[in-house]
Amino acid sequence: MKLLFRPLFISTILLLLVHANSGILEISWPKPNPKQEKPSIPYPKVLTKNIKNTKLPVYIPSHYRYDKKMSVIAGNYFYTIIFEEGKHIISIAGDRTFQEERPANRDFEKIVKKSQEVEFTQEEGMMSADFNRHGVNYSITVECEEPKSDPHCTSELFVTNLYNQLIMVGGHP
Amino acid sequence: MRFLLLFSLLFFSSCKEKSATPPPKPPSTAELKRFSYYPAGVLKPSTSGWGRKGDNYIYAPNIRFPIESAPAYLNSQVYGIGGLHGPKGSLCDQRNYQYPWRDNYCETRSWSMPLCPAGKGHQGVDIRASSCEKRKYYAVAVEDGVITYVGKYSVSLRGVTGRTYRYLHLDKPTLRVRRGQQIHRGQRIGLVSDNMGSTKTSIHLHFDIKQTIRVDGRSKRVYIPPYSSLVDAYNRLLQGRP
Repeated sequence: MKLLFRPLFISTILLLLVHANSGILEISWPKPNPKQEKPSIPYPKVLTKNIKNTKLPVYIPSHYRYDKKMSVIAGNYFYTIIFEEGKHIISIAGDRTFQEERPANRDFEKIVKKSQEVEFTQEEGMMSADFNRHGVNYSITVECEEPKSDPHCTSELFVTNLYNQLIMVGGHP
Repeated sequence: MRFLLLFSLLFFSSCKEKSATPPPKPPSTAELKRFSYYPAGVLKPSTSGWGRKGDNYIYAPNIRFPIESAPAYLNSQVYGIGGLHGPKGSLCDQRNYQYPWRDNYCETRSWSMPLCPAGKGHQGVDIRASSCEKRKYYAVAVEDGVITYVGKYSVSLRGVTGRTYRYLHLDKPTLRVRRGQQIHRGQRIGLVSDNMGSTKTSIHLHFDIKQTIRVDGRSKRVYIPPYSSLVDAYNRLLQGRP
């Protein structure tokens, strides 16, 4: 019996050490906006059903709010919603977890403290906008069939438009 | 309680994993002896940018190596032989398929990367599989989690730790995963290839890791340096305990 429990005990201790620095971010909930959260035309079931247990404000660009073909992958503390649009794919992800508290490296402290309200970045094959709202980290990405020539992935304009039309469609404390 | 739940999840998922994928190949002690690598942040050549020298911290501890089998070669695509800014030759030159490994996180790119000494650079690392053949070698899940994104040439896995791992350039028609699928550590995701939509690229896996850092109540999701975590994972793969 001892032999059986020893590896279990050691694994548990190791996991505790590995995850000792991780956790769930505290958030300040926005004031309810019934027009956005309960619109006159109901949002597609694929959206409402999949985010019903999600404990962070769920934002999507308003243009896509009735898109029945959206893919919604959500858990208690994260979500990713994907919209297909021909030669590009748009996704928005929100995540309420953190993996490292006060990292040993000073560069991380500087980056966190200097971060802007929203940061637009060209990535490998993508354009993205990262922002923190209510204490949660969000990311909008656009992936293009032709990433080096498609303006959706070479210019900030398209992703800026997506960012500017974000609306909260769900999530609860 | 959260840790106990996480532990149970990991424990039971590792049991399932054994039946879902074939067992890894037996470890090769010769390969382990051959394996060598430059320290983290030492890029090649000096014109390829500035890496995070001396940052040997393992940011993603205990992940599985993202390519199913050894050998694999982590080195530059752009500055390697046959690369856009590399010595003339074939991308399939055998010298690209040799140790030692070279970090290429923060390698020169036009993209903003505040963690890189130059403020711009490569957000992840490029890895070649055993040989210069596409659609032959599998990329696998580095930890248990869920597939949150399958795009035109990228797949994202959100692990149970909350880290997001991005796999680029896999062969799309033969992908073994779909959006929303639960996945276990070591489970096959797709075949390493040269897919980047209609843009040309070489046969390799681009792999990057994003995680959230919290400092004084403020947080940010950043691309962390993956090199040391991958050296550690590869060593374990060669020792037969991936």
